[in-house]
Amino acid sequence: MKKTTGNNVRLGLFISITIALFVAGIYFVGDRQQLFSRSFHIYGIFKNIDGLQVGNNVRFSGINIGVIGGIHQLSDTSVSVRFVVNESSRKFIKKNVSAVIGTDGLMGNKVVSLIPGSAGQPEISNNDIIATIRPVSMDEIMCKIKITADNAASISTDMAAIMDNITEGRGTIGKLLMDTSFANNIDKTIVNLKQGTGGFKRNMDAASHNFLLKGFFRKKKDKAKQ
Amino acid sequence: MESYPAEYLFTKSLKGFFEEVGQLSRFAARFFREVVKPPYEFKALMNQSYIIGYKSLPLIAITGLIMGMVLTIQSRPTMAQFGAESWLPGMVSISIIREIGPVIAALIFAGKVGSGIGAELASMKVTEQIDAMEVSGLNPFKFLVVTRVAATTLMLPVLVIASDAISLFGCFLAVNLKGDISFHLFFTQVFSSVTFNDVFPALIKTFFFGFSVGIIGCYKGYNSVKGTEGVGAAANSAVVIGSLAVFIIDMIAVQLTSLFN
Repeated sequence: MKKTTGNNVRLGLFISITIALFVAGIYFVGDRQQLFSRSFHIYGIFKNIDGLQVGNNVRFSGINIGVIGGIHQLSDTSVSVRFVVNESSRKFIKKNVSAVIGTDGLMGNKVVSLIPGSAGQPEISNNDIIATIRPVSMDEIMCKIKITADNAASISTDMAAIMDNITEGRGTIGKLLMDTSFANNIDKTIVNLKQGTGGFKRNMDAASHNFLLKGFFRKKKDKAKQ
Repeated sequence: MESYPAEYLFTKSLKGFFEEVGQLSRFAARFFREVVKPPYEFKALMNQSYIIGYKSLPLIAITGLIMGMVLTIQSRPTMAQFGAESWLPGMVSISIIREIGPVIAALIFAGKVGSGIGAELASMKVTEQIDAMEVSGLNPFKFLVVTRVAATTLMLPVLVIASDAISLFGCFLAVNLKGDISFHLFFTQVFSSVTFNDVFPALIKTFFFGFSVGIIGCYKGYNSVKGTEGVGAAANSAVVIGSLAVFIIDMIAVQLTSLFN
């Protein structure tokens, strides 16, 4: 009899502890999904929710303040998303808050970030519809990258053609860089220029000693001395 | 030794299989009839729950602890390649709670409890104790089968919850072998990954695992033949068929869960 009672006590203790663990687990899981805390609902209308799912987190200033409670397609271009937000965060969220869909890390789940509005606005009410910002999808980014890559390819083709022309000495720059006779001509021009300026100096020296122009040069010298 | 054509042997074994399935179904139907009919054997149920549940706890706890640690240690190198070691608690906890915890605990349970029930009832059958109970006016099915099957059905979910909790603790220990994470942060990460969709389907299927292990063990023991040789055969087939039933139920449960999700 004593043994049976002892066994029953052990069994009862084991079952009670396990059920307590289970209830605690359920509480923590439910608490994360705002099931056991006071919450309010707000709505956002998106054109494209980009894979957002019920249960994804809602963040405000980087803090998880709620979850996605429901997603309903309204028309072919609009999807209504219901946010279940912790009541304690309501005082920080103003009427002009806006929502944007992002990704948690590089490969993480989708997350909705609430972007604070300007100060001085009243706090948000239950069932309010908030503004949404169209998320930039990966497809759009890839599309833009493709256009940039196409342009880069076109530019590099043109550059290759220009470089070919230059290498072959075609065009002004090509001649300037590749034509040796052109360089020789420039050399000769510079030699001629030197000789020309030397001759001009000698002429000017001779002119300064000429009796007709002597007075003009003397006056210039006096002015320079003053 | 007589030799039979292959078609005959195939037909015979197929017929034998369906006959076995039919008899097991009748046995299960009888259980459902008897379980609701008074008088209820609460004392025997409590005793069986103690033997089946409480006494299986150490084995299942050790298995759970090792499972949580091994799963974490094995996953770490792959996660580290992506710099995603911080995802270990979430990933391992989902694996344990959804699938590995219930299935491994049910297999261990089938090995320990299924064989025990099969051997116990088979030895009672061959020593004619069951017949003696019938003669003395007791309902042996109610006393022996109903209490055992009810105990396995109710105790396996409790054992799985305990095993899951211990596995998560094992995971925490293994994460801390090479890393450094606080107990609070670990469980925050675990509970931020787990949802009700992970917990409830996994828990519901453990009732079916427990029922199948119990009913198969009892069926094999209760219908044991061939004397003492039959005791070993009953224990062996209770484990083998019970384990197979666990996998089949698990496959059906996964299909149903994905259907409802």
